[in-house]
Amino acid sequence: MAFTMRAVKVPPNSASLEEARHRVFDFFRQACRAIPSIMEIYNLDDVVTPSQLRSTIAKEIRKNQGVTNPKVIDMLLFKGMEELGNITEHAKQRHHVIGQYVVGQKGLVQDMEKDQGSSDFLKKFYTSNYS
Amino acid sequence: MAHSLAAAASSFSPPAARRRLPGQVTNVISRRSSVSFNSQRISFMSIRSRPSQLRFKICCSAKKETVDKVCNIVKTQLALPEGTAVTGESKFSELGADSLDTVEIVMGLEEEFNITVDETSAQDIATVQDAANLIEKLVLEKAA
Repeated sequence: MAFTMRAVKVPPNSASLEEARHRVFDFFRQACRAIPSIMEIYNLDDVVTPSQLRSTIAKEIRKNQGVTNPKVIDMLLFKGMEELGNITEHAKQRHHVIGQYVVGQKGLVQDMEKDQGSSDFLKKFYTSNYS
Repeated sequence: MAHSLAAAASSFSPPAARRRLPGQVTNVISRRSSVSFNSQRISFMSIRSRPSQLRFKICCSAKKETVDKVCNIVKTQLALPEGTAVTGESKFSELGADSLDTVEIVMGLEEEFNITVDETSAQDIATVQDAANLIEKLVLEKAA
């Protein structure tokens, strides 16, 4: 029921880049305010601090710094909201959160830079045999 | 006899090890909560039980203290080198912070001072002094 209710709330598209930018900051604030409850749900006090989690979220947002199309930003925001909802509704396990947002920065998650110009063939070529 | 004694020793040690860990965790948790409770109580008592003249002085000194705290948080958040001078007049943009960094600093200040900064107020913050003034106002409003 919660998932169905959440699926209905798709916000309308941003009319301009400034509005999309505004929504990004709102999403960041919402995610930061959810950090204490996330740490309580998944019992992360021993492995991470709220400040580190905040920096990780900011880093994830900054990966898409070069995106200027409001439609793409809206799509990315929707995915971000979905991810945040999954975490706050306990649709993930503890090791998922730890693997993606705590130790992921130290080599567990392969961090491929988002190159706007390369073709898919070149991206896969650079990725080589790693999944 | 030797076998039975060894079996008894091996059977006894794991429960002891298991019992210690939850106890330690419980102690740590209780210590943390007691520490935070004491700190909050101290701050409330210091604000309430002082006469008006001393309250004014405490506000002045608190403002200086607040500015120092804000400077430390800004340094930590932006990973500035040790020699960088962060004063009340420093602008976030001059320190190399972009808009997302500014929002992140505001969220860090919210967590540090246990306040909630609404969006319109957060947009007006451009210098360390602005942040300190807003925090002081919100802390006083919350204490009242």
